[in-house]
Amino acid sequence: MAQNAVNRGNDELINYAALRALVVDDYPGMRSALKLTLSNFGVTKIQMAGSATEAISRIQNNTFDFILCDFNLGEGRDGQQLLEELRHRGLINLDTVFIMVTAESIYEKVAATAELAPDDYMIKPFSAEVLRNRLESILLRKLAFKEIYRHFKEHDLVAALHGCDRLIDSKPKYLVDALRFKGELLNALGRFEEAEALYRQIINMRAIPWARLGLANALHLQKKDAQAEEELRDVLVQAPEMVAAYDMLANVCLARNDSAGAQAVLEQGVAISGKTVRRQQKLGEIAHANGDLESARKAYATALDKGRHSVFVTPTDYGNLCQVQLEQGDLKAVAETLKNAKNILQASTDGQLVMAVVQGVAQQQAGKPEEADKFLREAARLRSDGASADAPLLLKMAETWMAGGQLEAADSLINEVARNAHDSDVLLEKAKQIYLAAGREDVGASNLKAATADVRKLNNEGVLLAQKGEYRQAVDKLLAACHEAPRNPRIIMNAVWVVLKCIDLEGMDEELLEQARRYLDEAARQAPGHSRIAGLRLHMKEIENKFGIRRRSAT
Amino acid sequence: MKFDSNDLYASLMHELKNHLGLLAMTIDSIPLQNDPAHDGVVDDARLLCQRVVERLQQALLIYKAANGQIKPSIDAYSPEDLVRELRDTAVSLARGRLEVHCGIAPETPAIAFFDRTLIEMALINAIHNALAYARTAIWIEAGIEAGRLTLTVRDDSEGFPEPILSGYTSDAPNRSGGTGLGLHFARMIAETHVNQGRGGELRLANQNGAVFCVLLP
Ligand SMILES: Nc1ncnc2c1ncn2[C@@H]1O[C@H](COP(=O)(O)OP(=O)(O)OP(=O)(O)O)[C@@H](O)[C@H]1O
Repeated sequence: MAQNAVNRGNDELINYAALRALVVDDYPGMRSALKLTLSNFGVTKIQMAGSATEAISRIQNNTFDFILCDFNLGEGRDGQQLLEELRHRGLINLDTVFIMVTAESIYEKVAATAELAPDDYMIKPFSAEVLRNRLESILLRKLAFKEIYRHFKEHDLVAALHGCDRLIDSKPKYLVDALRFKGELLNALGRFEEAEALYRQIINMRAIPWARLGLANALHLQKKDAQAEEELRDVLVQAPEMVAAYDMLANVCLARNDSAGAQAVLEQGVAISGKTVRRQQKLGEIAHANGDLESARKAYATALDKGRHSVFVTPTDYGNLCQVQLEQGDLKAVAETLKNAKNILQASTDGQLVMAVVQGVAQQQAGKPEEADKFLREAARLRSDGASADAPLLLKMAETWMAGGQLEAADSLINEVARNAHDSDVLLEKAKQIYLAAGREDVGASNLKAATADVRKLNNEGVLLAQKGEYRQAVDKLLAACHEAPRNPRIIMNAVWVVLKCIDLEGMDEELLEQARRYLDEAARQAPGHSRIAGLRLHMKEIENKFGIRRRSAT
Repeated sequence: MKFDSNDLYASLMHELKNHLGLLAMTIDSIPLQNDPAHDGVVDDARLLCQRVVERLQQALLIYKAANGQIKPSIDAYSPEDLVRELRDTAVSLARGRLEVHCGIAPETPAIAFFDRTLIEMALINAIHNALAYARTAIWIEAGIEAGRLTLTVRDDSEGFPEPILSGYTSDAPNRSGGTGLGLHFARMIAETHVNQGRGGELRLANQNGAVFCVLLP
C-alpha cells in the first residue's frame, strides 16, 4: 500500500521555546507536573495560577500564547467561566491558544458556540505526547487562520470572509473550521440567508450539533422562529446535555411571545449547568416578567452567588434581586441583600444609586415616607451627577415618588424612561400599570403619549427624509431625536445610519463622525449583540477607509 | 454530614483521574540511566500505569453503558493528526524495544467525523495489545474502504487466538488474566458510530500478525 509520510517537519514553524504559557490548576502537584510535562517538549516560559482570579491578574499583566486550564478550579469560578470572562473582556484574542483540561468527556457538549469554546479539550489523564500533538495542531491551524484573524480584529469582516473562502478552497484539512468561522461572520454581517445555506452545507456532511445550532440561529435571525424552534427541540432530543441549545431556544420562544415556554426551557438549562451567570440572569428576568417571583428570586440570587467576582455581575443584578424581594414584601430579605452587598455597591456611583432607590422604596413600603424621601433625594442627586440605572429601577423610583405624592418628579422620570424605550411594550405597560395603581390613568396616558410621540415623530420624519435622499435634514431630525432619547437604541442606530449615509454622499464631517462613533458605542451598551450593530460598525469602517481616517483604537 | 452517593462517586472519580494523571507524569519524568536494570523497571511501570488508566476508562464506560448513555459526540477531526498522536504515544510506550510504523493511504480524507475520545480509547487499547504481543514491530494506519474511514493497528505477532477471530466472547472474565473487555469495547465503540443508516464495524484478522481495524461510516 502506498503511504504518505506522517512526519510534519514543523520544527521550523513552531518555536516552543518562545511560547509563553500559563498553567491554571487549583492543585499545586498538578501544576508542577504539567509544567514538567510542557518543559519536556521545550516549553519553558511557564507561569502558573491556582485560581481564576489569579489567572486573570496574570493575563492582565502579561501576554500569553498558550493557556492550559483545568475545568475544575475548586471554589470560585471554573475554567469555562474563566474562558468566557477572558473572551468577554477581550483579555485574550483569537491567536491565543486555550486548552481546557477536563475529567469528563461529556463536558465537550457544554460549550457549543465558537465564542464560548476552547481550542481543544484534554481528557484526564493524558500523556505528554498527546498534549504536544494537540498543541501543535492548534498552532498550525492558527497559522493558517492568521490573516483571517487579523482582518477580524480590524473589524474588516468582509476581508475575513474572503480569507475563509480561500482556506475552504485550498486547505481541505481546515474546511470545517473555515466554514464554522465563515458562518459566524455571515451572521455578524447580517447575511443570514447565506449563513443558513452554509450551515445546511455542513449538516449535509454531518449533522454535528454545533452546526445545527448555527442553523437555528441563522433561522432565528431571519425571524423564521417556528423553524428554529423545531430544529432546536430536535437537537435537544438528540443531545439533551447541550446547554447552549436551551439558551438559544429561550430566545426563540421569547421571539414567539412564549415567555412561559422560555422560562421552562431555561429552567431545564439551569438544571444541567447552573453556574453560568448570564443564564441565571436571563432566567430571573423572564420569571420576573412572568410574575413568578419565587423563581425569579432564586435565579437572581444564584446569579449573584455564582458571579460574585465576575464581570457579568453589575449593580443592576443587586437591584433586580431587591426589586423581587420588595414585590414579595420581604423587607427583611432586602435589608439582608443590601447589607451583604454593601461594599460592592458603595464602590461605584451606579451601585450607590441602586442602594438609594431600593432603600427609598423599602422605607415607603414600611410606611416611612420621610425616610423614603431622603433616600430618593439622594438617588436624584446621584443621577444628576451622572450615575445611571436601568429602566425598571427608574420606574420603581417613579412609582415610589408617586405614592409619596411627588407627582411632578414621578411624571418627569417616567417621561424620560418612556422616551428612551418608545418601542418597548413591556416597559410602557409597566409604566401604565404604575399610573393605574395610583388612580392617575388619564394623566399617565397623556404623559406616555407625549413622551413617545415626540421621539416617534422626529424618528419617522428623519427616516422619511433619508428615504427621499435629503440626508442633511434627516441628520438634524435624528440627532434631535437622540437628544430627546439618548439611551434609545433604535433611535441611536437610525441616527448613526443616516450620519454615515450623509458623510458618504456629501463629504466628511469629522465631528459628526465622532458623534456617530460615540452613539454606536452607546447603542452597543444598550442593546448588546443587536443584529444591526455589526453592520453599522462595518459601514463606519468603510467610511473611515474611504476618507482616510484612521481609527484611534479598535473597540 | 450526609453523603450524596452520586456526588461522592463523581468526586472520587475526579480524584482518581487526577492522581493517575500525576502518577503517569511522574513516571515520565524519571530520567533514563542506560542501565537495563533501572530503565526496564521504569518502562514496566509506565506500561502498567497505562493499563490502569485503560481499565479505569473501561470501568467508566461500563457505568455509562449501564445508564444507557454511550452516545458518541461527533465532530470533525483529521485522521492524519490522530494517527500521528497515536504513533507518538506508541513510540513512547515502546521505548525502542519495538519499531513503530505509521502511514496514511493517499486517498484518506483530510477530515472525518467521529468521537475522538472513544476512538482513541479503542485504538490505544489495540496498541497496548500489539506492543505486548508483537515480535519486532507494529503499524498504525489510516485509509478508506468503500466510503468508510479505516483505522488499523497491525503487528507481527502470532495473531489473534482462533476463538477471538470466530467471534467467541465469553461473559465471564477469562483466561490469562485478561478480561477480553478491550476488544468488546472497541466493537461497541465502532458500532455506535452510525451515519445515514450505515454502521461502524470492528474487523479482526490474522495476516502476518494480528490486524485490528475500525471502520467508520
Ligand atoms: N495484537 C494481538 N496479538 C495477539 N493476540 C492478541 C492481540 N490483541 C489481543 N489479543 C488476544 O485477545 C485477547 C483479548 O484482548 P482484549 O484487549 O479484549 O483483552 P483485555 O483483557 O482487555 O486485555 P489483556 O488480555 O491484554 O489484559 C487477549 O487476551 C489476547 O489473547
